[in-house]
Amino acid sequence: MRGPTTVEPVPGRTDELIINMGPQHPATHGVLKVVIGVEGERITRAVPHIGFLHRNHEKIEEARTYPQIITYTDRMDYVSGLQNELPFILAVEDLLGVEVPPRAKLIRTIFFELFRIASHLVWLGTGMLDLGAITPFLYTFRDREMILEITEKTAGARMLPNYFTFGGVRRDVHPDFFKDVAHFLDFFETRLPDYYALVLDSPVFQARAVGVGVLSRERAIARGASGPVIRASGVAYDVRKAEPYDAYPELEFEVPTRPEGDVFARFWVRFKEMEESVKIIRQALEKTPKTGPYKGKVPPRVKPKPGARYRAVEISRGHLGTYVVSDGSERPLRVKHRSPSFANLQLIPDLFVGARFADAIAILSSLDPVFGEVDR
Amino acid sequence: MSRMPLPADRLVQPRLVGYDPTHPRPWLERIAYTLFFSALWVMVILAYGAVPALFRHYGWLSTTAGFLIYAAVEAVLAFLLAAVVALILIVVLRKYLGKVQERVGPMHYGPAGVFQTVFDALKLLGKEDFAPKRVDWLIFRLAPAIVFVSAFLLMVALPVAGGWVMADLNVGLLYIVAVSTLGAYGVVLGGLSQGNKWGLLGGFRAGAQLVSYEVPLALALLSVGVYSGSLRLSDVVEHQYGLWHVVPLFLSFLVYLVASIAELKATPFDLPEAESELVAGYNTEYSGMSFAFFFLAEFVELFLLPGFMVVLFFGGWHGPLFGLEPGSFAAGVLQSLYFLVKVAVWVWIFLWIRATLPRFRDDQLMDLAWKGLLPLALVGLLVAAFLRMFLEVL
Repeated sequence: MRGPTTVEPVPGRTDELIINMGPQHPATHGVLKVVIGVEGERITRAVPHIGFLHRNHEKIEEARTYPQIITYTDRMDYVSGLQNELPFILAVEDLLGVEVPPRAKLIRTIFFELFRIASHLVWLGTGMLDLGAITPFLYTFRDREMILEITEKTAGARMLPNYFTFGGVRRDVHPDFFKDVAHFLDFFETRLPDYYALVLDSPVFQARAVGVGVLSRERAIARGASGPVIRASGVAYDVRKAEPYDAYPELEFEVPTRPEGDVFARFWVRFKEMEESVKIIRQALEKTPKTGPYKGKVPPRVKPKPGARYRAVEISRGHLGTYVVSDGSERPLRVKHRSPSFANLQLIPDLFVGARFADAIAILSSLDPVFGEVDR
Repeated sequence: MSRMPLPADRLVQPRLVGYDPTHPRPWLERIAYTLFFSALWVMVILAYGAVPALFRHYGWLSTTAGFLIYAAVEAVLAFLLAAVVALILIVVLRKYLGKVQERVGPMHYGPAGVFQTVFDALKLLGKEDFAPKRVDWLIFRLAPAIVFVSAFLLMVALPVAGGWVMADLNVGLLYIVAVSTLGAYGVVLGGLSQGNKWGLLGGFRAGAQLVSYEVPLALALLSVGVYSGSLRLSDVVEHQYGLWHVVPLFLSFLVYLVASIAELKATPFDLPEAESELVAGYNTEYSGMSFAFFFLAEFVELFLLPGFMVVLFFGGWHGPLFGLEPGSFAAGVLQSLYFLVKVAVWVWIFLWIRATLPRFRDDQLMDLAWKGLLPLALVGLLVAAFLRMFLEVL
């Protein structure tokens, strides 16, 4: 059923103010527009508008060869760029029947989790900026810089590295890679207490976050939410556990959940996920041999056999799935991405209505949408 | 903090123009900011001490023409002082935020970036002062003036040293309340007149916030008045010989501290201009110098509210005089230095709070004012009255 597409003023009602929040509002994380009706500070109606960043990804991908498409998938969730490549690559690997060497799987997993930390750091900084604290933003971006430098050393690019490929990774890791990652993990663990003190333990933050924007378990499932948003509502759904891929089956980690479903729970879950990522990377670093094959045997011309395949991964924002239909040529017949931010964004009318205006900003930053992926 | 070495094969090393990160030159910053502070000190001495002393020495004040010239000179000096305070505090804020956030802050204009605000002000001067079509023109233009004038008028009553005050009003405490409330009008009218919904919301928020926090602020001032037995600010300072008011009137001091941060519209209470919520709040449509006046007023208040806090609770200009005769010009110079140092410490604490905390929500702000600070202020008033009674008995 379609919801309302716009907010019209009610004739004769003068206490409601209708505001266009966005697409150039500072706290909409890109180009979201929400038309809201406010009664004083309380939100009475909210209609989100998307599509300002639509770039026709899926249609463009039908006209590209398989290796060319990997570059496009990077640009969906540009904050956790590298993670977006994986579902497409996994699907095509299945269609090709390529064997991935264990070392390549481990390297992919290390990078995957590094980008989860990087993405959560961006979310933490911008989220606290939305709540009015400027300092965490600078701290988190400085820490993220170290991850980007690690990526730069190995892959050559920083945010959108185009590094994974069919059968493994595009080239072997930089000789400093293992040392750098261990250094970053040690450093990051000394930073985490600061973030706890500035954010989760701050009484002002708790006053803003506890009990705000409560999303019930049923509502989260009904709207198809995923990632930290659904785990903060008490559903322990994580693609890494549900349909393990790459090296995850051999690594031990927990899926942090919290039953409250409020803004604080969503912040808490992401904090714990960063800690879990550190654990995962440490285990993977131990298991990864220093030298060895980094790529399996892949035919020079990638032409999967006809068929269709859907693979999903757990990126920083949730369940990212890619459906690839091959007709046996070197271009796919159809590529469809199922993106987590798009589903999470449907929660806006549910969560905004009845909240105060300042709460709406906190709720939006706790949903953490990235519009490259919502609009594609 | 250990930084990861850059990859050796990186072609472009990051480097700021005019600033070499391998040679931070902290001594240059220290010299520059010491000079800044000295400039402020000289301005204070000129405006509050030297010029009045000059006019009094030659007896020019007894004639009408002499008094008018004196008033004009003092007005110009007070304006210059306000401008210097704002120029210094803006760059100090940016440098301090830089220090907290592990970056360098302004670095390009002048040694260690000291002239950054001067260039910012020049840029704002050169910009078109644009007014959208739908504004209520007269009020839109008047609002920045009201805000600035209210901050500026407070300067008159600030006693910086023994006998150094532009107007030693016998209703000084009431004057502070009256004039600082005037600033709320400017902010509210500015927000409401600009025909912009963000400005409207910002104006509402500012009105609610400033009016609410005036009440505990006024009660805190009242308890100081009750305890010291005078509304005259120089008497309040004299009363603190032996024991600063912060000890007996600690509750009132806490109320004043929180309420003055709220009056400043600084970070935990920056709702009226909350960037991430209301775009720019009450000054959304202001540009050029109109915007600069809002900005200037904010930073003059960042100097004045800690200034009055020092006067009311931290013994004002009190400090060892090293044998100088109280009331002499040399003693005044030294006392104004003590005063400025105390103010600088409090400004630093205000900036620290600003750099650390996130923002409150509007209803929590109101709760804090009416359910938290107001009872606390009343208890503080009660304490002040009882202490005064005991002092009288003794």
